Amino acid sequence: MAEKVSNQSLLTWFLQRFSGLFLAFFLFTHINVHHFLHSEGLISFADVNARLTGSFWWQLFYFLFVPFCVFHALNGIWAIIADYRPSKGFSIFTKAAFWIIAIILTAVGTFTLTNLF
Amino acid sequence: MAFNNMFKNALDDTNRNKNVGTFAYLLHRITGIGLAIYLVMHTYVLSSAISGKETFNQRMGLVQNPLFAILEVGLVAGVFFHMLNGLRITICDFFGVTLSHKVFFWIEMVIFIIIMIIAIVLQWPKMQSGYYTGM
Repeated sequence: MAEKVSNQSLLTWFLQRFSGLFLAFFLFTHINVHHFLHSEGLISFADVNARLTGSFWWQLFYFLFVPFCVFHALNGIWAIIADYRPSKGFSIFTKAAFWIIAIILTAVGTFTLTNLF
Repeated sequence: MAFNNMFKNALDDTNRNKNVGTFAYLLHRITGIGLAIYLVMHTYVLSSAISGKETFNQRMGLVQNPLFAILEVGLVAGVFFHMLNGLRITICDFFGVTLSHKVFFWIEMVIFIIIMIIAIVLQWPKMQSGYYTGM
């Protein structure tokens, strides 16, 4: 018999796809800029600073990139855990831990960005 | 607990269902967990910018050498496998072509191999230390 899927699971499933599509674009650009098109020399503070300073689009790009990455990573790991039908206590503990990790990672990432330009 | 024997179960599933779909499913999860761990390490390295320009350059210098250039090829492989496979799943689901998922898998593999060849060619000088010229 078909079980009814909870609205929350459906929403996170959809958001995983949605953030994934965004990340495909973000990550492709990010890797192109930092690896493929930057194949000579070291990446230094000056390089990153030069790209971000005064560029509204690069700043917007990276300020969106950070939370999208964090959401996609933690929601993805949560989806794997949920597949193994964890106990109620374990679910609550993991979700709480993931929220804390998500907030810390996003905060550190965003604060790092503000220090790069 | 449901996590008992999870690795054994994953292997049993693969043995019962030997097709590219199961292989892609397993690899998607493994690369996903790997990339999530990488995200934390990446944030740690870059967060040195909070302590200033010199700390950033110093810590970035630690991870920019031939050893890490080789490891980065693995990273790029993980990223592009996960990305292309994710796009394949999304296309199959949303455009109702799930039945052709194996065809899409081989298209994905062709694109993946092309990208990896380009990545290795571009990364090659860094693996020889030739292009790391100092700050």
